[in-house]
Amino acid sequence: MAETSEARASASAPGGDAGGEDDKHDERMLECNICLDTARDAVVSMCGHLFCWPCLHQWLETRPSRQVCPVCKAAISRDKVIPLYGRGNTKQEDPRNKVPPRPAGQRTEPENTSGFPGFGFGEGFHMSFGIGAFPFGVFTSTFNFGDPRPSAAPRGTAQYDEEQFLSKIFLWVAILFVLWLIFA
Amino acid sequence: MAAMSPSERRLQKELMSLMKEPPPGVTVDGDQASQNLTLWTVHMEGVPGTLYEGEKFVLQFKFTNKYPFDSPEVTFIGNNIPIHPHVYSNGHICLSILTDDWSPALSVQSVCLSIVSMLSSCKEKKRPPDNSFYVKTCNKNPKKTKWWYHDDSV
Repeated sequence: MAETSEARASASAPGGDAGGEDDKHDERMLECNICLDTARDAVVSMCGHLFCWPCLHQWLETRPSRQVCPVCKAAISRDKVIPLYGRGNTKQEDPRNKVPPRPAGQRTEPENTSGFPGFGFGEGFHMSFGIGAFPFGVFTSTFNFGDPRPSAAPRGTAQYDEEQFLSKIFLWVAILFVLWLIFA
Repeated sequence: MAAMSPSERRLQKELMSLMKEPPPGVTVDGDQASQNLTLWTVHMEGVPGTLYEGEKFVLQFKFTNKYPFDSPEVTFIGNNIPIHPHVYSNGHICLSILTDDWSPALSVQSVCLSIVSMLSSCKEKKRPPDNSFYVKTCNKNPKKTKWWYHDDSV
């Protein structure tokens, strides 16, 4: 193979016909950039560089974490190359299907941990103490339960009962406090 | 010739083209390389007009059967190891394309050109600062060294 091209080159050496030189140049244009043979099962990268698919596949497998074009170091991957089909190619089969595609990587998401573990009341329970001029402070703490706070417990659950119970206790504490202020 | 492995096929092609069209100042020992395709000796001359003008160096290339996916092992051998900030006195070369930045589209010819260019751009002939420590502690194979490429100026 190499010897024939050598012989051809020396035959068309100084003063030889320009046609032979052009032919040789054309031939080299279609060489794989890895094995230096005429590309078979040819694919071309987005950056325009020609390879045999088996050669390029082996290179991608060699450094799976850093897949770059061997010629220009542009990012490259299996999905970013285009198969080339010549006229003589009767079966127009994607060369990328010939070499078994490597299995896809698998990873699982880490366990979902909530940012704030809470005090055992569960979500949806908010306690607020208003500090302000006298009656308003009491009103703010008391009537907060009507606000559309995030996720109030659904009716019928133990948490709902608990919240209603607490709500009543606070209401009675407030009423007693007001009465004490009035009569004392 | 019939049953050559892909790495041998490629080395054979490279040898032919390097013997036919060598870069200036570079000659490959063709007889030795064709007897054993995995071990090449390349002679190199210092480029005129640089600090290495008139000097002669010898490079050794060792290839595995994974070539060109695996980089060749390249060292200076012989009596005259160039005095250069990236060349250790045992012949090891600190050059990123010989390990991390190797690509199968590179060749013996492009490695030779890189080394010629590395020598030619040198401003001051000196050994690497950690030469004596490295030479005492390193592995025989420079590819086993964890090179730390930090100086792009030379």
